[in-house]
Amino acid sequence: MTIPDIVKTLDGTLVAGGESERTVGSVVANDLMSDVLLNDGEDMLLLTSLASDQAIRTANIVGAACVVVHNAKPLPQTMCQVADTLGIPLVSSPLSKYESCVRVHDFLAAEGKA
Amino acid sequence: MARVDYQPTILSGGENRSDDQIMAAHAEKTVRRVSGPGLPGMKGEGEPLVIMELLQRLRVKDVMRSHDIASVVRTDSMRYAENLMKRYHISGVPVLEDNRLFGIVSINDIIIALEGEWIGDQCQKHMSTNLVVLEEDMPLAFAIKYFQNYTFGRFPVLNKDRNFVGIVSQRDVTRVLMHELTNELARLEGKVVAPPVEAKGEGALPYYSMRQFVVVHNDLTNAGKAANEIKRMMKDAGMENKIVRRVAVAAYELEINICIHSVGGTLTFILERGKASIVAKDRGPGIADVDWACRDGTSTANDWIRSMGFGAGMGLANSKRVSDTFEIVSKVPNGTTVICGFNL
Repeated sequence: MTIPDIVKTLDGTLVAGGESERTVGSVVANDLMSDVLLNDGEDMLLLTSLASDQAIRTANIVGAACVVVHNAKPLPQTMCQVADTLGIPLVSSPLSKYESCVRVHDFLAAEGKA
Repeated sequence: MARVDYQPTILSGGENRSDDQIMAAHAEKTVRRVSGPGLPGMKGEGEPLVIMELLQRLRVKDVMRSHDIASVVRTDSMRYAENLMKRYHISGVPVLEDNRLFGIVSINDIIIALEGEWIGDQCQKHMSTNLVVLEEDMPLAFAIKYFQNYTFGRFPVLNKDRNFVGIVSQRDVTRVLMHELTNELARLEGKVVAPPVEAKGEGALPYYSMRQFVVVHNDLTNAGKAANEIKRMMKDAGMENKIVRRVAVAAYELEINICIHSVGGTLTFILERGKASIVAKDRGPGIADVDWACRDGTSTANDWIRSMGFGAGMGLANSKRVSDTFEIVSKVPNGTTVICGFNL
């Protein structure tokens, strides 16, 4: 699953962080950053409702490939700046986090990776 | 260090008003909000934490001048104010009586008085009364923001009782800031140990290096920058992804802990041959029951911290989980020191 795949699957918009060639290696849906830090998966797709700089900084610590914020939440300008600085693709999606989880699962299942 | 949301105070007034009106304006101040204490030209991840802390720690009263301030009373003539400005090479004179500020005679007021030929009139008739003032306990960051937002070259300073206590100009800010920054840099330079020359090399790990970051209480805007910088340093040194991630997780959890649970402290990254360490040291209030605090899911965080994605009570437990060695020493109210060690 590539960044364009994420944008398309989740009806999202890439709002910061720029294009990336990376593909998703693991998926985490969580709003608690300490929970996110507990995961050892590589190239993480982080599905969250936390629209703050810390979501991006946490993603950078675990080497995440992409961060998706749900329910079309307004994203603080500083969050976008941090995503640009750290080069982490930041996607805004109108979907609920649950709906995103379902769609990402279906996509990965079709790829034989779920 | 907590950020307090100060607001600029404007003493409203106008020409040809009675003393009572001016006094009333003094008593019933119009308050207008401006944006927070961000700094011009300092955005994003490159914002130095040490400068941010300095600007929050220093107060307006630390930079203002409170002695030898030339002033006039309301019944003095504009000519007298003009002479004071010439004598002391200043561009404005406060109008004071018993430490109460009634207005300012600015160089602009003098020019208009000369053109209008009322330079012999009393100051109270032509002084500027629509004033923006600072409070002595405001952080210096706010004073800098005021200089950015307004065209005034100086601001009167009032205390909590609304009495005049001093005046602050851009030159005062620069003078004190240069002095403090010099001291701070000298202090930090004393803490940095440069790697031996023979250990340097393209892609090679340094033999020994140390870097310290200041972590400010409740400054969640900047929290996490130190951990991200530590991660960048390790990656640049060509270290393995797995160890980089473990060190970065510990650094991040401990940095957030200092930010949300302590009054502030430092996060230090130490790299020596065969070992990396993260040392998190805060200045209080300390942990009464360390064993309890190290358990998963135990936290004293409030709802605000939880709304920012933290406070799940896993910080210390997570740090311990990713470390090869873990030490914690805490004393109420002196503070806590945590040392996470990693075998490279």
